[in-house]
Amino acid sequence: MMARVRGRMRERGREFAGWMEDRTRIISIGEKQLYEPTPKRGMWIYTLGSATLFLITVQFLTGILLLFYYVPSTDHAWSSIYYIMKDAYFGWLVRGIHFWSANLLLAVIGLHMVRTFLSGAYKPPRELNWVVGVALILIVTILAFTGYALRWDQEGFYAWEVGMKIASYTPLIGGWMVSFLLGGDTVGPATLSRVFTIHVWLLPALLAPLIGVHLFLLRLHGEFGAAFEYSERLAKLRKNRQAEELEELLGPEDGDDGTPRG
Amino acid sequence: MAEEIKKEKMTRGQFLLMGGLGSFVGAVLTIPPFVYALGPSIKVMFRGKTDVPNVWRVVGSVFEIPSGEPETFRVEFPQKQSYSAGQPNAGVGTITDAVLVSWQGGKMPERVKGKDKGKLSASEIEALKKKLNVMSNACTHMGCPVRWSPADRQILCPCHGGIYTINGAHVGGPPPHGLWRYIFEIREDGTIRIKHEFAQGTPWVV
Repeated sequence: MMARVRGRMRERGREFAGWMEDRTRIISIGEKQLYEPTPKRGMWIYTLGSATLFLITVQFLTGILLLFYYVPSTDHAWSSIYYIMKDAYFGWLVRGIHFWSANLLLAVIGLHMVRTFLSGAYKPPRELNWVVGVALILIVTILAFTGYALRWDQEGFYAWEVGMKIASYTPLIGGWMVSFLLGGDTVGPATLSRVFTIHVWLLPALLAPLIGVHLFLLRLHGEFGAAFEYSERLAKLRKNRQAEELEELLGPEDGDDGTPRG
Repeated sequence: MAEEIKKEKMTRGQFLLMGGLGSFVGAVLTIPPFVYALGPSIKVMFRGKTDVPNVWRVVGSVFEIPSGEPETFRVEFPQKQSYSAGQPNAGVGTITDAVLVSWQGGKMPERVKGKDKGKLSASEIEALKKKLNVMSNACTHMGCPVRWSPADRQILCPCHGGIYTINGAHVGGPPPHGLWRYIFEIREDGTIRIKHEFAQGTPWVV
C-alpha cells in the first residue's frame, strides 16, 4: 500500500518536473548551475563573488524595510531614523544589518576584485566581465556614499559636502556635476531629495541589470581556472551524465509500483 | 526555407522615414527626462541663477570685532529650492552661514578702539572697509568648517590640515586659495552687511 502511494507520488512529482522542464527549462538550468565545474584549489576565495551577491541582496531587502519608515526631507530624515532605531520593532536590527552589511559589502567586493586580479581571471575571454565588475564596484561605492548622506546628521552632511567639493574638481563639467547633485548652488532640501533618488532608485536600478550581465558573462565562460585545471573532473561528469541518459533511454527494469515505465 | 524569409530590400524613402521617425521618437523619449533632472544645473550654470536671492543680511557691528582674533557670526539667508524646511508650503527656506570677521592682521583700527558705537563718515567707512576681512568658515579645499585656534594664532581646518592666517590667506595644507570672502558693506552706524556672493567665485556648499 505505502509503496504504491509512494510510487504514485514519485510519478506525479516526475510529471510536474517534466511539465516545468518543458515550459521553463528549469531542471536543465538548475542542473547546469549545480554541476558546474569549479576550481578546487583555493576554493574559498572563489566564494567572494557569491558573498558579494548575497550582501547586495541583503541590502535590497533591508533597504525596502527601511523605506517603510524613512522620510526623505530635511526636517524628518534624522528623526525618522531615530524612530527606526528607538521605537520601530526590530528597527535597530534592520538598520543595523543594512549599515553593517554595507560596510562588509565594500570589504568583500574589494577582496573579490583583488582575487580576480591576482588569479588573472580578467584575461581573455573574460575582459568584459572585468569591465562590468568595475562599473559595479563604482556603483556600490556611490551607493555607500549617498547612504551616508541620507542620515542627514552632522557626519553624513559634512561627508556629502566634502563629496560635492570633490565633484566640483571634475574637469570641464565640475559645476554641472555639483549643481546636479545639490539641486542648486547651495546645500538644501533639494539636495536630500536628489541623494534619496540616487540611493534608492537610480543606482539600484542600474545595479540589478548589471549584476545580471555579470552573471551571464560568468556563466558563458565558466568560472576561471575550471576548464584547464579540472578537465578530468569535467570528463568524469560528462561520463556520469551519459550513463544517466543511457539509463533513461533504456528505462529501468521496472518502476517502483511494478508497472513498466513508458 | 532560407529564401522565403529573406529580408525585403529597403527603399531610400523607407530608410529616411524610419530615420526621421526614430530620431523624433528618440528625442521625445530622452530630452524631457534629461532636462527635467538637470533642471537645477541649467538654472545655475546656464542661466546664472542662484538659490539665495540677492539680499543684504546684517552680520554685526564693526565695534564688536575684537583685536587679534576673528569673531564668528551666524547669518541666515533665504534659500529657494524645491521645498522649504519647517514650513507647510513650498517656497523660501533658509540657509545659515557661519561668517568669520577679523581686522587686517588682527590690528584694531584707532577709529573703533575702545568704542561700542558711533557714527562713521564716508571716508572712515572706506578706510575701515580696507581693514576688514569678512570670510566664510567653509574651507576652500573640501568645505569643512574652519575655526580660529588661539594657541596657534591661525585659522585651522580639522579635516585635512588647511592653515590660514587671520586675514584668511592660505598658509599651508591642501586648500587651493584663501578663505572665501563675502561681498560686504559697512553702514554709517558701523553695521556690517553681506550678500551671499563671494569675491573668488562659487564655493558651492556654503
